[in-house]
Amino acid sequence: MAPKRARVYYAREANATTIQALAAEVIAKRTKRHLDELERSNYSAPNTLLTGEDAEEGHGRGRARQTISDKRTLNIPGTSPAAKKKKTTHNVRTALVYRKTLAELIDESKIANLPPDDPTYLRAAAPPSAYPPRMLCTVCGYWGHYKCRRCSMAYCDQNCESVHAETRCEKRVM
Amino acid sequence: MPTVLLDNGASSIKAGIVKLQQEPPRIIPNAVARSKGDKKTYFGHEIARCNDYSELHYRLPFEKGYLVDWDAQKAVWDGIFSDEVFGIDTTSSSLLITEPYFNLPNIQEVYDQFVFEEYEFESYYRCTPASMIPYGTLFSQADLPPAECIVVIDSGFSFTHIVPIMNGEIVWTAVKRLDVGGKLLTNQLKELSSFRQWNMMEETYIINDVKESCCYVSTNFKEDLETCRADPKRNPIVQEYILPDLSTNRKGRVRQPDDILTDTDQILVMNNERFTVPELIFHPDDIGLNQAGLAATVAFSISLLPSDLQGMFWANIGLIGGNAKFAGFRDRLMSELQTLAPVDCEVVIYECDDPITEAYRAAFSFVNTPGFESHVVTRAEYAESGSNASRKKFHDWKHRESEKEKLKEAPKPKGKQREEDRSQAVNKISRTRSKPTTVTAPSRRR
Ligand SMILES: [Zn+2]
Ligand SMILES: [Zn+2]
Repeated sequence: MAPKRARVYYAREANATTIQALAAEVIAKRTKRHLDELERSNYSAPNTLLTGEDAEEGHGRGRARQTISDKRTLNIPGTSPAAKKKKTTHNVRTALVYRKTLAELIDESKIANLPPDDPTYLRAAAPPSAYPPRMLCTVCGYWGHYKCRRCSMAYCDQNCESVHAETRCEKRVM
Repeated sequence: MPTVLLDNGASSIKAGIVKLQQEPPRIIPNAVARSKGDKKTYFGHEIARCNDYSELHYRLPFEKGYLVDWDAQKAVWDGIFSDEVFGIDTTSSSLLITEPYFNLPNIQEVYDQFVFEEYEFESYYRCTPASMIPYGTLFSQADLPPAECIVVIDSGFSFTHIVPIMNGEIVWTAVKRLDVGGKLLTNQLKELSSFRQWNMMEETYIINDVKESCCYVSTNFKEDLETCRADPKRNPIVQEYILPDLSTNRKGRVRQPDDILTDTDQILVMNNERFTVPELIFHPDDIGLNQAGLAATVAFSISLLPSDLQGMFWANIGLIGGNAKFAGFRDRLMSELQTLAPVDCEVVIYECDDPITEAYRAAFSFVNTPGFESHVVTRAEYAESGSNASRKKFHDWKHRESEKEKLKEAPKPKGKQREEDRSQAVNKISRTRSKPTTVTAPSRRR
């Protein structure tokens, strides 16, 4: 299917509320949400209903579900349970049927309780940058020397400012 | 007994069977994909057969770099072991499989369970990709012994790790992770393209190809930004990517000067998107991720190593992982590292022909070293003591204490030549490389 013009996707109706800067924590939340979105395997437009198996982010906590790996007809040599499609052990069955999120697994692993100088996933993250972040225009990517008074996203000139105001500006409190 | 080799990445599995002669691995997408076009589901190796890659919906076994969806993973693995790919009897084979850095112990147990309970491999070895690099040729130099202190930068799909290795063992206390990988870059490009031009939010496959075809790491960000600003339509950087035409089955490609466009061709203009996207590896703060960039993180990692050895680490930095394929990656890293390294330290960066398969090739050599059998856990050992067997044998991040002890101990005779060489080498480390030891070096690849 041919790609469609995109602007409509992000367009938001002009909102007549008075100009009010978003609180720092709201902006931090917005950044966090954006970073989470960049982690996703698929994008689904807001308000689109995700259907069953396809909803990667939609699995309930430890909820049993339909498996896909046992629905295939493959010829694997040998006598393993995978080859014979039987005798799957309890351990394997559990892993197949109950999917846990990474957050749940980290919790369950108790790596947070290891001695403070032990290296773990939780302690291996790169240190914060020593410099203040540079600002790039959120519309065109050029230097963003100005910040939106409402939502503090950066822009470079009047042209990008108006595109920002029409499309991306977070006028509403989230 | 044949050994199956799986460099089991979050984006692709580099897979092969170890024989005497090395062959390039099969690259198999580690995903289950549903095509909205033909409404079919494709598992792993089958994705290559899919012609309708518009709105491919992916289900990935990995989440943020860790294996969480075992159903999807088994579906992909089953295909690899079946006669559609290797047709191998797992019950009479050995397996080497890679796992992510800092893999969680509870996830590791599930690896053990699948390997021994579901596939019933005879034996297996589980390790991180970087730990294999000393067995490969990334750092090889004619007439010089293998470097004792190296830093492997593994910039993959889920994230980028800086992994210092001393005498073949990872120094886990200095391993650092930058939460920027190929997936984030593709998603960032999706967003920029969709906001600025065409809605590409569902087109992971296409945008990934745009990224691989057009993106590069800038070695002069300021200048390139000005170049793109001055004339967004005509400048030395701007490229046009002709989006694929699925009705005629034509693939997407970068427009060449002699390309004549037809009415139906759709163009995605790639201007500063070409370099502002990979820039995130060097400037995560550009999207608000509060982490130092790659160069600063490398410097930080090296600063955590023994001070008298840091010079050796600066001089032995190697690049693996798909992002190392971006043009300009090495040069940009080099120029930034040179400003960060102490004045008396030489910075040397090693590259390889194919950073995606380097860990596979190194692992291939490792399997062919005489000592390989001593590293594996056997099915019998697993039957006897379960995952305790692998906890005892596989040297991962949890083994730090025992490694420390080993470093303190005087070398003592061991059954395996490689081990012996390694422990002896501990006492030989100096700023210059010591004379050649009889390490069972793998044969040269090229
Ligand atoms: Zn702008
Ligand atoms: Zn705004």
